[in-house]
Amino acid sequence: MDYGSQMNGIQSHIEMEVLDQRSTHDFEEESLISPERDPQKTHSLCASQSGGSQVCSINTLRNGVFMSIKIVIFTTKLNLLMPFGPLAILVHKFTGHRGWVFFFCLLGIAPLAERLGYATEQLAFYTGATVGGLLNATFGNATELIISIYAMKRGMIRVVQQSLLGSILSNMLLVLGCAFFSGGIVFYEKEQVFDKANAGVNSGLLLMAVMGLLFPAVLHFTHTEVHFGKSELALSRFSSCVMLLAYAAYLFFQLKSVRPNEEGSQIEESSDDDEVPEISKWESIIWLSILTCWISVLSEYLVGTIEGASTDWKIPVSFISVILLPIVGNAAEHASAIMFAMKDKLDISLGVAIGSSTQISMFGIPICVVIGWMMGRPMDLNFQLFETATLFITVLVVAFLLQEGTSNYFKGLMLILCYLIVAASFFVHEDPASVGEKQPQP
Amino acid sequence: MGPIEEKTDLESDEEIPFSSSPATRKVHAFDFEATHIGPHVSSTWIYKQIRIRPLKSIYIVLIKAKINMLLPFGLLAILLHYLTGKHVWVFSFSLLGITPLAQRLGYATEQLAFYTGPTVGGLLNATFGNATEMIISIYALKNGMIRVVQQSLLGSILSNMLLVLGCAFFTGGIVHYKEVQKFNKAAALVNSGLLLMAVMGIMFPAVLHFTHSEVHVGKSELSLSRFSSCIMLVAYASYLFFQLKSHRNIYSPIDEERNNDEEDSDEDEAPEITFWEAIGWLFVLTVWVSILSGYLVDAIQGASDSLNMPVAFISVILLPIVGNAAEHASAIMFAMKNKLDITLGVAIGSSTQISMFVIPFCVVVGWVMGEPMDLNFQLFETATLFITVLVVAFMLQGHSNEEKECGERKYRKSAPKHQGRIPLTSTLKREKIGCLSRDGIELLLRLDEKIFREKSNATTLMVQGLVRQGGWKG
Repeated sequence: MDYGSQMNGIQSHIEMEVLDQRSTHDFEEESLISPERDPQKTHSLCASQSGGSQVCSINTLRNGVFMSIKIVIFTTKLNLLMPFGPLAILVHKFTGHRGWVFFFCLLGIAPLAERLGYATEQLAFYTGATVGGLLNATFGNATELIISIYAMKRGMIRVVQQSLLGSILSNMLLVLGCAFFSGGIVFYEKEQVFDKANAGVNSGLLLMAVMGLLFPAVLHFTHTEVHFGKSELALSRFSSCVMLLAYAAYLFFQLKSVRPNEEGSQIEESSDDDEVPEISKWESIIWLSILTCWISVLSEYLVGTIEGASTDWKIPVSFISVILLPIVGNAAEHASAIMFAMKDKLDISLGVAIGSSTQISMFGIPICVVIGWMMGRPMDLNFQLFETATLFITVLVVAFLLQEGTSNYFKGLMLILCYLIVAASFFVHEDPASVGEKQPQP
Repeated sequence: MGPIEEKTDLESDEEIPFSSSPATRKVHAFDFEATHIGPHVSSTWIYKQIRIRPLKSIYIVLIKAKINMLLPFGLLAILLHYLTGKHVWVFSFSLLGITPLAQRLGYATEQLAFYTGPTVGGLLNATFGNATEMIISIYALKNGMIRVVQQSLLGSILSNMLLVLGCAFFTGGIVHYKEVQKFNKAAALVNSGLLLMAVMGIMFPAVLHFTHSEVHVGKSELSLSRFSSCIMLVAYASYLFFQLKSHRNIYSPIDEERNNDEEDSDEDEAPEITFWEAIGWLFVLTVWVSILSGYLVDAIQGASDSLNMPVAFISVILLPIVGNAAEHASAIMFAMKNKLDITLGVAIGSSTQISMFVIPFCVVVGWVMGEPMDLNFQLFETATLFITVLVVAFMLQGHSNEEKECGERKYRKSAPKHQGRIPLTSTLKREKIGCLSRDGIELLLRLDEKIFREKSNATTLMVQGLVRQGGWKG
């Protein structure tokens, strides 16, 4: 059997399943993307036409590809920003103006990141809960990881550290704050509640990550390491392995030992939004790889133009890394968290925001250290005192606000204002360690 | 002054209880001399009242309270300033002289709050509650003593959070040592959260300066501080809005409903001075405090030299103890009466007020004046504040969490969440009932009153049935 008809067969089989599911459940619009019904109908027409017959397999393949492209690329409004990606490359080739290249890259990556998340979700329908959770855990912050790997290749260690830190901060303060605020305003009379236990576990993990980051920084700062320069690196690498272990254990704990109330909420969720995976399994895998490649290409331009943009716009590099990069990278999570909060599904919002922070701090950062280890780059966990102190106080504030288990608009407002203070601090923060640090690199 | 005097004349004396709404105020024309009865007045009588009324007012405000024995010290301080050059005496006497003024200022604010209703009253309290510290700070700013300002405000926060709260808990615990005193955790947590946010606002400029990582040395922290101060003021304003408008039900203290009646019958019936008198006294006392503060601030440096004490110790420890003496006394008193929520409101609320309102306000005032007042409190003070807020926050939430956990455990063991509690929770907004322990019974009884007021008889009976079933007495 050639690949096309095999795919076709799988496609039509899955489409039949899809149709069955759809006929029994209500088609609620739960996701950020508003899927159109037309492609599904044309799909079904095609499927019924080609049921078993190989004659129009090529037609259906082409139609399938077009439908897939239509669903993935043209349905979301955010994808209007997609042309900015190629535009950035063009601008880079023709003019040397790095500020604009950086800006366009930023705008171009935002929809790609969102689509990557979408493709991961779709794939998760087919793989079941456990592998789906793992997928989400790994690919959830794929954009930040890709940007970090490119930055590490260029030797911009501080940019890596700061962008990851900024991602944690923006998730914990800005995204969570906006979610609480909008949810609190919509549900004005009552206090929204969320699962305290889950929030507590996440807060504990975040504190553990802070501990992992604190020790190399304090060691360096008090000049008490045994081998100057080498000790923190060794300590960082060891701590990273430990943190990865902790994260793996956390995943195992979360996915295997599901508690009754969690199951209940999961069942609610699944009856709402997972009746219709919109693209087939192979399509999602293919899209996953395409989007990843695309993001990698844009990231390379992005990372290459950071310093140019900083000099062009007269903004410190740290501000760009900590504030601007993550806002764009998290734009999609931001929107979905707000939407879920406004629908009173605060647990999902919390999962998106705090879960993403936990992921980056316990998985993203250690993985970058390990990758740096393999690449031979001196990426360590010493985030310098200012950034570490920022992370520490932020985690404390957020952990404290979360441990009550309720939310209202005032808490959201407080978190947003805290983020403004953090952003202002980084606006006037010049990073002494990053001056003259970038090594020339093929 | 004529018609106003008439109006005040028709209002009752301090001995008679009356309700707070002016419309239903009974006309008890029981005036001071107790000779004339009746709403009609003659002109000669009005003139008599004009002469008597200010004297009576002075008596109530300045002479009745025992703390006013310290009042002459203020005048003494001014005399000493001009007669001798001894800064120590000027300093100590002005400290002693300011104490009763601060207390009377709080009293006048309370009295004014009777007339303006709870919302504006709350706002008044929020603004004037720490007027003394604000006035002292503004004077110190004018003199360019930025460190004194920072340290005195920091000391005020520390003394409120640790000393006042500690004394209150201690005395309350000794007096009621058989039981564990409770307070409303929600309000305490919001306040702790705000304090943490304030610590964050103060920490960033300090760490920025300390790591020498600012873009423009000296200028960056100042602009960051000013920006953060504006944000903190916005946060405080929204906190006031939130507290006064939206979530009054949820954040009403546990005992408030029941004790409000007691309080009403005890304290709330008689504002002792009239509306205009309250405003007038507010003004007079503020002027008086300002004058003394001027002398106080001038004498700090000299006193520190003479006493061989660091200026930091004077600013952080001595100044606030005196400035908060009145709040201290009232917090202890309320704790002994088992009204722990009011104590917390006084202590932690005052800390929150200073950290989220007075400090940013001083930065803005310094901005207007052209003084480089910033939020960089230097590393030692910032670290002190940080660890103190952490300790207090964890103690407050740790104490109140025991209740909640008990309730939570019960929830998990029983099948659906609201089994057997639907009638009780639906009338109240998502209030967790807690476990049926002894504390739970108290909570249930309080709910009983609330429900009763909402005219839900079936639920009342059910609650009473539960109580009887549990076999607890009372």
